[in-house]
Amino acid sequence: MNAASWGWLVLLFPLLGSIFIGLTFRRIPPKAAGLVGIAAIAAAFICGIAAVISLQGEPAESRHVADSLWTYASVGGLSIDLGIYVDPLSAFMVLVVTGVSSLIHIYSYSYMKSDAGYHRFFSYLNFFVFSMLLLVLAGNFVLLVVGWAFVGFASYALISYWYRREAATRAGMKAFVINVVGDIGLVLAAILIFRELGVIDYGAVFEKAPEVFTTTNEWTAVAICLLLLVGAFAKSAQMPFHTWLADAMEGPTPVSSLIHAATMVTAGVYLVARAHPLFELAPAAADVAAIVGLVTLLVAGTIAIVVTDLKRIIAYSTMSQIGYMFVAVGIGAYSAGMFHLMTHAFFKALLFMAAGSVIAAMANIQNIDRMKGFYKAMPFTAAMLIIGALALSGFPGTSGWFSKDEIIDFAAFRGGWYEIFAIGGYIGAFMTAIYSFRIIFRILPGPPCEEAAHLIETGHVVHGEPVNPATGEKEDIEVGYPGEDHHIAEQAMGMKIGMSVLGFLALVGGLVQIPGVTEVITHFLEPTFEDSPLAAMHPTVAEAWKGLAKGAVISVVGIAFTWWLYIGRPSVPETLRRTFSPIYTLFINKWYGDEIIDFLIVKPVKGFGRFANNWFERYAIGGLTNGTIAIVRSASGAVRDLQTGMLRGYALLMAVGTVAILLYFLIRGL
Amino acid sequence: MLSAILWTPLAFGLISLLAPRRFAPWVAGTGTLITLVLAAIVAIGFDSSQGLQYVVDVTWIPGLGINYSLGIDGISVFLVLLTALAWVPAVAFTASRGTDRAGLFYFMLLAGQTATLGAFLAQDLLLFVLFFDLMIVPFYFLFGIWGSDREGVTAGSATVKMIVFTLIGSLLMLVGAVAVGVIAADGGQLTFNMAELAEKGLPSGSQNWIFWFFAAAFLVKMPAFPLHGWMPDAYRAAPLPALAVFSAVLSKVGAYGFLKVVLPIMPDAVELFQTTMLIIALGSIIYGSVMAFTKIDLRLILGFSSVAQLGFITLGIFALDSTGANGALLQMINHGLVVVPAFLIVALIAERTGSEDIGPMGGLAKKAPVFAVIFLIVTMGTLAIPGSANFIGEFYILNGVFNTDVAIAIIASSGVALAAFYALRMYQRTMHNPLPEGSDSREISVRDGLMIVPIVLIMIVLAFCPQIILGDTRDSVDATVAVSKEAAQ
Repeated sequence: MNAASWGWLVLLFPLLGSIFIGLTFRRIPPKAAGLVGIAAIAAAFICGIAAVISLQGEPAESRHVADSLWTYASVGGLSIDLGIYVDPLSAFMVLVVTGVSSLIHIYSYSYMKSDAGYHRFFSYLNFFVFSMLLLVLAGNFVLLVVGWAFVGFASYALISYWYRREAATRAGMKAFVINVVGDIGLVLAAILIFRELGVIDYGAVFEKAPEVFTTTNEWTAVAICLLLLVGAFAKSAQMPFHTWLADAMEGPTPVSSLIHAATMVTAGVYLVARAHPLFELAPAAADVAAIVGLVTLLVAGTIAIVVTDLKRIIAYSTMSQIGYMFVAVGIGAYSAGMFHLMTHAFFKALLFMAAGSVIAAMANIQNIDRMKGFYKAMPFTAAMLIIGALALSGFPGTSGWFSKDEIIDFAAFRGGWYEIFAIGGYIGAFMTAIYSFRIIFRILPGPPCEEAAHLIETGHVVHGEPVNPATGEKEDIEVGYPGEDHHIAEQAMGMKIGMSVLGFLALVGGLVQIPGVTEVITHFLEPTFEDSPLAAMHPTVAEAWKGLAKGAVISVVGIAFTWWLYIGRPSVPETLRRTFSPIYTLFINKWYGDEIIDFLIVKPVKGFGRFANNWFERYAIGGLTNGTIAIVRSASGAVRDLQTGMLRGYALLMAVGTVAILLYFLIRGL
Repeated sequence: MLSAILWTPLAFGLISLLAPRRFAPWVAGTGTLITLVLAAIVAIGFDSSQGLQYVVDVTWIPGLGINYSLGIDGISVFLVLLTALAWVPAVAFTASRGTDRAGLFYFMLLAGQTATLGAFLAQDLLLFVLFFDLMIVPFYFLFGIWGSDREGVTAGSATVKMIVFTLIGSLLMLVGAVAVGVIAADGGQLTFNMAELAEKGLPSGSQNWIFWFFAAAFLVKMPAFPLHGWMPDAYRAAPLPALAVFSAVLSKVGAYGFLKVVLPIMPDAVELFQTTMLIIALGSIIYGSVMAFTKIDLRLILGFSSVAQLGFITLGIFALDSTGANGALLQMINHGLVVVPAFLIVALIAERTGSEDIGPMGGLAKKAPVFAVIFLIVTMGTLAIPGSANFIGEFYILNGVFNTDVAIAIIASSGVALAAFYALRMYQRTMHNPLPEGSDSREISVRDGLMIVPIVLIMIVLAFCPQIILGDTRDSVDATVAVSKEAAQ
């Protein structure tokens, strides 16, 4: 079997899993549904490994296979195949996606226990993984849009999973609509690609592009790339399309872990890496990607430092880290970007899982100001949180240290104005250390809060009344409410397995890419990027280690500074908040992103809707309609003298008119 | 064969009118099923490499050159199948709920099917006009007699609005059709055969005014902005099963008319008025979408969404590009397949909540996951999620327009985002959020499922391979578009 056949199997298992669970939800017990879900993803993971082995068996220059099942649609020369494309880049993504997803499925198996919608959850979750795999394996730009949109749909379904909460359904809608805007960008990009190049399959597009766009920054090439970026930014929550991500935290925590940290939101990064031959022909667009990434990483960092909702801190941190990845693929550090994508998947999924564990123990309260003393109450979760925070802030030796600094090194290495990406990257790294350890120092040490104390005393978590934490309303427990057994915190086996494997990977995952020593990822991805002059450039090993040293210093200093802020001098944050009150207001209001979009887009569209409905439809259209009818009515006045009722009057009018017109033309024609 | 398809519904309609009342639904149901089987046989036997097939051509009124001439080509084959299909659940749904004056109801409904099929099958221009005009009559009675009065409008006044508007359009078209025949004959033998008319051609001066006579009829029927004034009242009055077929199929006759009659016979005028038509289409997309998300009545959300969808279809046709026109034809089928289940679902929702306003609704998915999933699939079809056949239709339409006018394509694509919003809003407000008191979240019954699920399954199959349709329609559509393209050069 070649890599493409394995690729089809990778797609098949999650799809079958989703359909099977969906169809049998009344027949099989929840446990079975969960196991089927896990098995489907694990099978996909194994097939992914097989695909990699099969790829590695080929010589480097032919490590890409395209295969298609049938012609999906073909008219007017625009032929779309139902085809996939397997090369090191897509295989790498398959491994990251299926690997992390398997662990999150295992975690969910316990976390969602006794939730009334267990089957629905696993069916959606499997469908999400299928969509994500379709996105990475798609062989042409149209199928890419399909995967892209399915991912958006699955995300919508999972965000509004607890649909009894209006906050959840609103958040789902927001995510979906913003993602559709991204889809439109991709659709227009695909159309433009076809118009310029006459092909739509990846291989053919990348082969033809240099022949057609002979000078750099031809406007059509730039337009294609910018349209691709609209899709990429929308999916990856980069500015100005970022506002949906924080709201998406309304979904169950495993969903945040899977979709809004490890997989879906990184799709934009994958897209830029995938389309790098186009971006290198339009460096202006690549610069846009990098700049937007930089701005997002800094802005999101400032928000993460001030918000108090545990999941939202991690969400803004995700935005910020994806900003790094966009910087990477924008400046040509493709393998570094993919490497950070992988390590981020490990430690961010881990952080979300650990946060879920804490939130479960807090009876769904997410405000970190309320949390204290979890070091004693949940030592395992605390350890996982610390590992995650260390990796996130790039502590020496952890996975995040190797990956983040590789990006910054490359920016410094390209020099010139690209230096600003290095400087911005270091500032971002410092903020990362602050917000990650703010979580740690706020919720782990100190005297246990009420919920934590309850856990220590009884060994059980608090069984609160099922209320919506946002509004305090009582909840409809029949709509997927986690039942009493749900409050199992870290004691459940599935959650422990998921967290420990990810914790291990977050710690040591960076060792595969030690400068000058291993560099596994760079070598593995080399065939995909062999055509790229940028990918061939490398900082020397010495430079790389110098960069790592700088990163280590910033991380350690940042953590120490945070310790001083929250443990050493706990009064300082409050003083800072008061002294810099305008800046604080700006940050805590998320730089008014929601308000700006509301003002620029939502309000005008709604206003137009009101105008159309209350004014135009009533007076213009209504006037036109009623006016016409009035004219007809007066014209038929004569006929109506017969008093045969309105209907017959019109029928007669019609008959008389028809005959008259027929006669006229007949006489003229004869 | 085509005559059998055409007259079977009417014949069974007559029988159900005369049969004892309790047999009426069975007779009508049998009639629609036989029609469906016949249409399926024709569609399977259709050979895309040949042009017009299954031709029936009998002289009818020799002096006027009017023939009883039927045939089927790539443009009409799936529309005929769609018509045959759509009526089955409409009859079944009415039968399962019962209705007063059942015999008369089924007679009207099936007479409407015959007229609609006639419009798709006619190869003689006057025969087409005749069926096009007759089509509205049974629906006038269906909406007027079995419709319901709403706040501010009675069913009677709503239908009067509808009939006046459509009749004006129809009369104009009749004049246009006669004029086409007379002018094309140029003093010689009169003929109304469409193919011959297209071959003879018209002087471009005449084309220019005749074009608008036809366009008026077709745009009213769709309806397109700003001629949709009759639609809201009529949609609110109509009985839902009748509305389902009306919205799914009759609106497509207008779009079909553009492809089948206007493009081949009036190519010069089409070329001349292309931009005007594109702008009307664009207006329909934007206006329809915006109206759809301000409405809270489910029927009006779907009604204005149809205005927007028909806008996309018109856009594709007048892109005068192979991909655009093929996409438009595919979209006609897709939209028909989406609308039939959508209106039946509205009926089911109304049975559960006692209302058709989404304002006070919510949470219906709670005890009815299967019902919710069916509605979700229909919703995703409505908003043309990539992966559905609807998306391929829209994709080709946008591609066609992109080649014609980039600015219009980009503005039109914003309609896609608006569609996502209004369609999802419709789904969320009914199925999600808390379940209010007094609403009954009840699972869809097997009987109702049997009416809706087959169409949903067809949507899913087409999602995997829209080429099933495109492969058969491609040659005919390309030939039609080529005529206009030649005129442009």
